[in-house]
Amino acid sequence: STLPAVAEELLREIRKAFQETSQVPDELLLGLKFIFGPSAVPALDLVDQRSVTRVRSPSGRTLYQVLGSSGKLYTCYSSCHFCTCPAFGFSVLQKSESLLCKHILAVYLSQAMGACQELPVSEEQLTNVLLAEEEDEG
Amino acid sequence: LCRGGLAERLCRLQNRERSAISFWRHQCISEDKIPSDKSGVLIVKILEIFEECTIQVAICQQLEQSPAALSPEDAVVNAEEPILKVLFTRETAAHLKGRPQDVIHIYPPWQKLLLQNADVPVIMNTYFSQKVLISEHSEAREKTYGLTKMLIRKNIISLAQTFRLDDLDDKLHQESSDNQVPCAPQTLNNGDPKRCPLALSAVNDSLLEMVESQGAVGWREVQVRVVIQRVYCLPAREGHRSYTQGNKPLCATPVANSDPPNARLCLLVQDAYGMFSEVQLQSLSSTDDIEQYCRRWEGKSCCLAGMKILQRTTRGRALGLFSLIDSLWPPVVPVKVPGQSQDSEMMTTNLPPPSFCYILTVQSGEIHVEVDEEEQISNLYQPPAVHGLKEILRIDGCNKRCSFWALVLYRRLQTKHSVPLDQRETLLFVTDSTLQNVVHGIPKVVVAALTASCVLSMEIIEALSAGSRLVFFKDALWGNGRIICVERTVLLLQKPLLCSAAGADLSELTGPVRLDELDSTTQANSICALRGTVVGVNESTAFSWPTCNRCGNGKLELCPQDRESLYCNQCSEVVTTPVLKMQLEVFLRCPSQPQSTVKVKVWHEITLFVLLTMLLFLQTYEVQSVLGKEVGLLNCYVHSVTSHPNCAVLEEIVLL
Repeated sequence: STLPAVAEELLREIRKAFQETSQVPDELLLGLKFIFGPSAVPALDLVDQRSVTRVRSPSGRTLYQVLGSSGKLYTCYSSCHFCTCPAFGFSVLQKSESLLCKHILAVYLSQAMGACQELPVSEEQLTNVLLAEEEDEG
Repeated sequence: LCRGGLAERLCRLQNRERSAISFWRHQCISEDKIPSDKSGVLIVKILEIFEECTIQVAICQQLEQSPAALSPEDAVVNAEEPILKVLFTRETAAHLKGRPQDVIHIYPPWQKLLLQNADVPVIMNTYFSQKVLISEHSEAREKTYGLTKMLIRKNIISLAQTFRLDDLDDKLHQESSDNQVPCAPQTLNNGDPKRCPLALSAVNDSLLEMVESQGAVGWREVQVRVVIQRVYCLPAREGHRSYTQGNKPLCATPVANSDPPNARLCLLVQDAYGMFSEVQLQSLSSTDDIEQYCRRWEGKSCCLAGMKILQRTTRGRALGLFSLIDSLWPPVVPVKVPGQSQDSEMMTTNLPPPSFCYILTVQSGEIHVEVDEEEQISNLYQPPAVHGLKEILRIDGCNKRCSFWALVLYRRLQTKHSVPLDQRETLLFVTDSTLQNVVHGIPKVVVAALTASCVLSMEIIEALSAGSRLVFFKDALWGNGRIICVERTVLLLQKPLLCSAAGADLSELTGPVRLDELDSTTQANSICALRGTVVGVNESTAFSWPTCNRCGNGKLELCPQDRESLYCNQCSEVVTTPVLKMQLEVFLRCPSQPQSTVKVKVWHEITLFVLLTMLLFLQTYEVQSVLGKEVGLLNCYVHSVTSHPNCAVLEEIVLL
C-alpha cells in the first residue's frame, strides 16, 4: 500500500520544517488537505487549541487523549491506529474511506510540532483510563 | 477556529485553491482544448490504477512529450522513461475517469514527494489534471477496453501500520520526559500480510470444491472457471447496520439511501458440473450499463477467485432465483459428474434440478472476476428463449420465466395509497403480432406488471415515458395468469444478439395497434376500446380549472394585487394565458355491452374535447346538447367492472 508511506513522509516533512523554522509552509498544509481530506482542518484546529495530551506511565505505556470539540475526551492508541470516536468506527473501520480520524491526525501533528501536553500517570491510572473506555461502551 | 492558527490558515488556502480549480476546470470546458500554457506540465501514461481510502493511486510512466506529437508506433512503453505514483482525490478521479493506457496532463501547481525507502516519487495536489485522448486510437480503445476494467481494485490499509515521525538519529528531539522509555510506534514494513499478490493456482472447474475449501490454506488463490448465464441487477439491500465497540452499538444507521448506488450488479454462473451460483458484484452507480454488461458478458466464461460466501440458499427460500435456474435446466450440453473421471462418457444431462445454490460476493477490497470478453460464447450458455405473447399466455404452471419482445402501449402507476410510493407496481400494457393477429379468444393486449424489485435503467425509464416502444423483456415471470417483472428480470431496448427465437420476427406488427372492445369479458385494470352514444352526463363531476401554461400547475391562485389575474407560485409569475383543463363523466350506451351502463371519465383535450368546448362555451352544462351524440373509438382504462349493478367505470387514456 502506498498511502501510509505518503502520509508518513508528509508528516515527517512537517516536523522537519517546524523544527527548522517553527513554521509549517503552505504547501505542506495543502498536502495535508490533499491526503487527509476533510479531517485536515479539524485536526489542525485541535492542534491550535492544544487538545492533545500524551498520557504516560512509568513502565513506558502511552496513550493519547484528545479533547474533542464537543468537550468529549477521546482515547487514541499509540501502538496502532485506533480512536474511540464514532467517526473512526465509521469512516476508517467500516467504510475504509479514511486513513485516520481527525483525532489521530491531531496526535501526529501535535507530535510533529511539539504541541502535546504531557501527563505522567501511574500504572493503575493508565489502566483505569483504558478500562473506563470499555465501561462507557458496555 | 483559532485566529491566526493553522486551521484558519489552511481554510484560507483551501478556499483559494478551490476557486482556482473550478476556474481552471471551467476554462478547460469552455475552451474545449488543452490550455496553452505548457510549462511545468507533467505528462503521464497510466499503467495501473487502484484505490486506497478515497485516494486513487495511479502507477504511471512519465512521457517526454505529448503523445499527440508522436506517431502511434512511438507511443509504446519505453523502459527508459521514469515511473511515477500519481495520487488523485476522489473528486478529481471521478472527473478524469482515468484507466490504464490513458494519458493525463497534470498542470501545476502539483507537488512531488520523495519517500524514504522507495524509488518511485509520488505526485500529489493533482487537482489540475486533464485526460488527453489520442485521436484515432481513443475510440477504438474505449470500445475494446473491456468493462471488467471498470472495477478498480481497492486496497485495505492495516491499522497496525503506524507512522514514525522521528529519524533514527533524532531521538534527542523527542518530548522531554523524566523517563525516556523507547516506546515509539512501530512501523511494519510492506503492509499487511493479507495483501500479498494472489499467486493464482491452476484453474478449477468446480464451484462446490471452491466453496468447500473455504478457510483451508490457499483457498484464496483458487480460481474457478464458470460460464455467465445471466447478468442482472438486484436492488440494494435495505436494512440497518451497526458497529459496536465493546457491547453497546455505537450507531445504527440505515444503509439504504436514495442516492445511487442503489443496485448491485449480479451474475448467475454455472460451472462444468452444472452447479449454479449467484455472484453479487459491486454496486452500480448508474444502471445504464446493464445493457452493455448483458451484451458483453452473457455466455462468456469467467474466472472467479477469492469469493466470499454470503449464503447457501435453497429452493424453498429463494423462489425467484430458482425459477430462473429452472429456466436454465436441464443443461444444453452434458455436464461432468462429480467424483467420476473426466471421460466424456461420464457426462450426463440427466440430473435432477438443483435444490440449493450458493450466493457469493467479492471480498471487500479485491475484485477477482476476470471475464474473457474476446472468447467465444460457451456451449453451456442457454440464451433466453423468446416466445410470442400468445404462447406465453398458454404456459401451464406457475413461476415460469419467460422472455418476449413486445410493444409497450400504455403505462399506469398503481395509485393505492396504502402502498408506499417506492413499492408500487407499474402496469405496462403490451402487445405483439401474435396477439394482434388473432380474431378472438385471447386478449389483444396484456399487462406486464413491473414490481419495485425489478431494477430499471434510466434509459428504459425515459424510453417508456417518451413513447410507444419495443422492449425486450428478459426472464419475466409468468404465474397466476399474469406476467410480472420482478428481481432478475431485465428490460432491454435492444434484442440480445443470441436468443432462440420462435419463428418469424415477432416485432413485426402489420397495421395499427388495436385494442379489444369493451364487452362482458372485460376485466378491471385492463385497457380497451369503446364506442357508444351519450345517454347522460354526471353533472356533479363536471368541472374545469385553469392551469399554468408554463409548468402545468393546476393550483393557481388569485393575484394579491390584481384580483382579476391568476398567479402560479411554482413559476412565481402571473399567468396571462392559462390552459383550461376539464373533467367530465359521461354515461354511454355501448352496442357491445347493451346491458350495462358505461361510465367514462373524460379528461381535458382528447376526443370529447369538441363536445366539452361546446358545453363550456355555453357556460352551463347544457346536458341536452350532448345527449345522443355518438362517440368512438375511445381508448380507455377500465377502473372497475361490476355485475350487480351492471356497470363499468372507465377513464379515457392516451396511448404512448
